[in-house]
Amino acid sequence: MPPYKIPKRVKFRKEMRRTSRVNRNATRGNYVAYGEYGLQSLESCWLKSNCIEAGRIACQHFLKREGKLFIRVFPDKPVSKKPLETRMGKGKADVDYWAARVKAGTMLFELAGVSEVRAREAMARVAMKMPVRCRFVSRRMSV
Amino acid sequence: MHEDAPIISAERRERVGTKYAKRLRASGRLPAVVYGHKEEPVSISLDRKEAVRMLTRGERVFRLSLDGDDKQFVLIKEVQFDHLGTDVVHADFARVDLDERVEVRVPISLIGEAKGLKSAGAVLMHPITEVEIECSLFNLPDEIEVDISDLDVGESITAGEITLPKPTMVLLSDPDTVLATITTVEEEAPDEAATVDADAEPEVLTRKKDTEEAGDKKPEKKEG
Repeated sequence: MPPYKIPKRVKFRKEMRRTSRVNRNATRGNYVAYGEYGLQSLESCWLKSNCIEAGRIACQHFLKREGKLFIRVFPDKPVSKKPLETRMGKGKADVDYWAARVKAGTMLFELAGVSEVRAREAMARVAMKMPVRCRFVSRRMSV
Repeated sequence: MHEDAPIISAERRERVGTKYAKRLRASGRLPAVVYGHKEEPVSISLDRKEAVRMLTRGERVFRLSLDGDDKQFVLIKEVQFDHLGTDVVHADFARVDLDERVEVRVPISLIGEAKGLKSAGAVLMHPITEVEIECSLFNLPDEIEVDISDLDVGESITAGEITLPKPTMVLLSDPDTVLATITTVEEEAPDEAATVDADAEPEVLTRKKDTEEAGDKKPEKKEG
């Protein structure tokens, strides 16, 4: 599986899993900031880089050159996995994939320059590629 | 103008803190705070449905009914949402007088059809949806209209270029803040992802130390 999007440089090759930090609610990056409409995650997960790329392709193939897509998450977490039928031990395994830490409420994608109807259709296609429940949102009311 | 401001009834909160705020929300109340005019801040609670209905209607100045007194005018300063952005969990109000000059954030409404949007691939971007102004409470505008009909591709409108509804209003936002711009979406390479090398790995910044300890080779690149 080719890595679709990975960091250019990292401080360490591998990192600890930190699974206790997964099931939490987003306090940052949880509102539409750049576009007019967005796709918001309702669950938390480690979103693989190929899922993000699949979402991007699904959206851009549907919209052609219409509108602008913002990807609000970046896969900066290396996740390692031991090969099948390998005994435990012998050190930490190689990096299997890169993932973005997604919490409930995280804005995954945003769209600008399209009508709401088109944005809903595009985001429905993106949501099909996501491993978590998502919903379509627009900008919050301003006070 | 705001003599007929809607009355919002509030109750004083005796117990404050996360635990009691959660209990309030569960009972259909909205925790809030009133401050300003060099008086002590007061923790209050509002009827959640009523408050949210007024806020979504665009009301910003209220007459606060607290302890049998409804002469205090308050201005909404901040609204906090939950992690999904659906429910309002807290609101901040500032005490104001009707003849007072206040600093408020006013939403921007883009009017007209930009001529630059007729070209293929052009997208209107408006990253900032509100500007901060200083004005008297009497002249508080609901929104500021910005005409974008002359906007072409590559051009932008900044906060300093907009005309405020009244000459007494003062713009507080940075005048160089871009309110609206028209950009062209560049067509991406069809198989951009496929061009990424399958064995591509990020550069590891701490790898240099390992090679030095092992004494195999000199590091290829010296990091500054």
